[in-house]
Amino acid sequence: MAARPGDKHSALLALTSSALLLPAYQAARADAPPQFMEMGVRYSKYKEDDTQGKKTFGGSSERYDIDAAQFHLLAPVADNWSVAVDVQWEDMSGASPWFVGESLDGSPKVIMSGASIADTRTEVSVTTRYYYDRGNVGLNYVHSDEDDYKSDAVAVDGAFNSADGMTTYSGAFSYSSDDIEPTQGSVPTNTLKADKDISSAWIGVSRIVSRNAIVRFGLSYTYRDGFLTDPYKFRDQRPDERKEWAISTGYRQFFMGPNGALQADYRYFDDDWGVASHTLNLAWHQNFGFSTQVIPFLRYYSQDKADFFANIADLDQRYFADDYRLSAFGAISGGLRVRHEIGNWAITAVGERYETDESWGVYSGEESPALVDYWRYSFGLDYIFR
Amino acid sequence: MKPLTYLFVALCLCACETVQPWERGTLAKPEMQWQTDPREISFQAQINASKEATSGGMGAAGGGCGCN
Repeated sequence: MAARPGDKHSALLALTSSALLLPAYQAARADAPPQFMEMGVRYSKYKEDDTQGKKTFGGSSERYDIDAAQFHLLAPVADNWSVAVDVQWEDMSGASPWFVGESLDGSPKVIMSGASIADTRTEVSVTTRYYYDRGNVGLNYVHSDEDDYKSDAVAVDGAFNSADGMTTYSGAFSYSSDDIEPTQGSVPTNTLKADKDISSAWIGVSRIVSRNAIVRFGLSYTYRDGFLTDPYKFRDQRPDERKEWAISTGYRQFFMGPNGALQADYRYFDDDWGVASHTLNLAWHQNFGFSTQVIPFLRYYSQDKADFFANIADLDQRYFADDYRLSAFGAISGGLRVRHEIGNWAITAVGERYETDESWGVYSGEESPALVDYWRYSFGLDYIFR
Repeated sequence: MKPLTYLFVALCLCACETVQPWERGTLAKPEMQWQTDPREISFQAQINASKEATSGGMGAAGGGCGCN
């Protein structure tokens, strides 16, 4: 937008011209195609703590260990389009909980899968996006391939800004068709071949609160239909459909004094399996000059158990599961992310610790002996072609 | 759910300050975006979804994986 001749604020207008058309949400980046091609790679290491000997039959056991590599490419196409390609490779190995039994003193103890399970996963995602004056529309396709699981998903999403740019309305819809064919050999599986579909919709609205703050609300619904049982769990029989609701809110506030921003996000989840959860994410984004950012982050999570969860699964019931992921527990995680730019390059490093405990949750229930704690590290390198 | 409803209404009511387009420079900063680092968020969300019983809420669910 050109400054008007004679306008005493013309210099300021010229300096801020890139921000003139900013809508109420993702700012300029979402409503204008990228100016330059971007490319990035990232390596991540995920390692679960061993299960404690006192909670298992057969002593301590090594759990999952995952190495993951990500590749990202984003390129402008013509005047109003962009194309993004994301590829992720994962190599995983380790043992996972097979079922929970009762020890002589009556306490539940977990039996691990024993032999180490090894698998690799490749995910390819292609997104094309069209940008128009008051928003954008995207189309995404994702294919995920593992030895025992294949998934094909499509999604469309869009954003529309109000005339004054103070409010942005967003929406998304996705559909996924997944095939499951459990690997035979490590533990007996409860199916040889199965499938499921996942349909999901989301709507959101964001609004500028002040020149330094923005808020967002979202509502999502997800319907899962098909084989939802874990094929590798010995005592696991789940309903063949699941209806999930989630409401979320987010807030961003910039503070001029410390030159940093507070990022806060909250989600409430509820479904027809009896599971509910609260999730709170907090991060402080501290700038040091123009090229370095240090971002400490903290996450609190608490979930209620599924109606059919029990440590010692009741096989007389229609549905049953002793999977720790369906138990009531709380989780606290925190970490640090550091990003530094050198010319057209950017280096990113992340470290995170995640710990769980039944007593940390706002919901009460039997503590599963299989709750997991883990470490995660990531290192990334990005380049922008300008 | 009630406290959340009150929070939503309160925030909507307080969001009355008109911010002119040329005053939105700060809102364009990377740290003011909903997803500061999409790859980091994507990987973290995948791990959380495979270790917890709940997921989603920030967009459509997309595809699944056999992550255990």
